[in-house]
Amino acid sequence: MDKIETAFAGMGDSGAHADIAETHIACLSCDTLIDISGLAHGERAKCPVCGDLLTEYRDDGVSRVVAFSVAAVILLAMACAYPFLSFKSAGLESVTTLPGTVIALYDYGMADLAFLVGSFIIAVPLLVLLLLLLLCTPLVTQRRAPWMIPVGRIVFALQHWCMVDVFLIGVIVSLVKIAAMATVVLGISFFAYAGFAICFTMAMASLDRLQFWLLVERLMRDQARG
Amino acid sequence: MARNRAISQHLSCCHVCYKLAPVESHHCPRCGAGLHPRKPESTQRTLALLITATLLYIPANIFPIMITEQFGNALPSTILGGVILLIDLGSIPIAAVIFIASVMVPVGKLISLYYLCWCAHRQDEFGARSRSVMYRITEFVGKWSMVDVFVVSILVALVSLGGVISIRPGIAAIAFAGVVLVTMVAADSFDPRLLWDREETAEE
Repeated sequence: MDKIETAFAGMGDSGAHADIAETHIACLSCDTLIDISGLAHGERAKCPVCGDLLTEYRDDGVSRVVAFSVAAVILLAMACAYPFLSFKSAGLESVTTLPGTVIALYDYGMADLAFLVGSFIIAVPLLVLLLLLLLCTPLVTQRRAPWMIPVGRIVFALQHWCMVDVFLIGVIVSLVKIAAMATVVLGISFFAYAGFAICFTMAMASLDRLQFWLLVERLMRDQARG
Repeated sequence: MARNRAISQHLSCCHVCYKLAPVESHHCPRCGAGLHPRKPESTQRTLALLITATLLYIPANIFPIMITEQFGNALPSTILGGVILLIDLGSIPIAAVIFIASVMVPVGKLISLYYLCWCAHRQDEFGARSRSVMYRITEFVGKWSMVDVFVVSILVALVSLGGVISIRPGIAAIAFAGVVLVTMVAADSFDPRLLWDREETAEE
C-alpha cells in the first residue's frame, strides 16, 4: 500500500504518467491501480479491492512453459496416432481414434459440430502450443524476432478456447455411460491424451500473461538500444 | 477508502497485455491492440448475446441430442431425458455431472449475466465485490458445459456396430454447442469494471 501512496505523491508533474505505466497495472475487474513492481520468485499479486489474481512472478516461467509445451505436443501426437477406445459387443468390435471422434460427426452430416469439436480438443490446443514455442524461442535465446508481438496476441486470444480438460471429463462420463452396454477397452491414445491434458494445463498455468508481455517488452527495448 | 482508479488518472488498461496508457491513445504502445478505457457498448453486446443464447437453449432442450439405434429401433433422447435415463440405470454421479454441466451451468450463467447487466445498468453502492466474484465464477465455468457435446461425439464415434447398435448425433447437439459458445462470448464482452463505476459515482 505504501508504494501506491508514494507513487501518487508526485502526481501532477509531467513524468508521473510514464512512471505509473512502468510500475503499476490496473485490475481488470475493478480498475484499481496496483503497484506490481518488485515481486519476488513465487509471489502473487492480488487486487486488494476485488480479490482478483493479477499476476504471478516466477524466475523460471519461460522454461516451465517450454518444458510442458514440448511434452504436451509429443503426447498429443501419440494420442492422435494410436487407438483411443474400443467397444465390444455381441462378438463385434469397433475401434475409434481421437480424430475419429471428429470424423464420425462429419460423416453424420454435422460438419459444423465436427469443426467445433475438432478445434476445441485438437486444433486450437496444438496451435496454441506451437505458437507458444515460437514465442518462447526468442525469449530463451535473447534474440529479438519480428513475430513476437503478433504471435503473443494470437496465443492469448486463443488460450480461452482450449477445452482439453473438459474433453477428458467427457471421455470419462461416456465410458461410464456405455460400460453397462458393452465392454470398453482403453487404448494407448487415451492415456496419452490424459497426459497431454495434464501437461497442457500445467503449461497454461505457468503462462502468466503480464510476465510474458514484460519479457517481450524488455527484449524488444534492449535490442533497440544495443 | 478512496481508490486510485486507472480511469480517474486518465489511463486505460490494455486487455491483451495489461499495459497502462493515456486514455487518448487508440492502440496499446506495447502490443498494438485496440485500447478502450471500458469495453465499448459492453452491456448492450452482452444482452444481445444473452438473448441469442436463451433462444438457442429452447431447441437444445426440445430436440434429441442423440439417437440410439438398436436392432433397427430408433430411440431419441433429449438432454433431460438422458439424465433421467441415467438415474433409472442407477449411475447417480454421472447423472449429476451431466445435469450440472448441461442444465445448471448454462441456466446459472444466463441468469447471473442477466443479473450483472441489470446491476451494471442501475445505481447501486453495495455488493460490487461479491458481484465481481460472481462474474469470475461465470467466466470460469463457461467451457465446462461442453461436456455433454463431447460425450455425444465420443459415443457417436465409438458405438457403431453395423445393424446391431449405433448412435447418431441429434440436432440439439449443435444448438447446445451454440449456447455454450454464445454465452462464453457474452461473458467475455461484459465489463466487470462497470459494477464498480456505479459505486464510485454513488460515493461522490
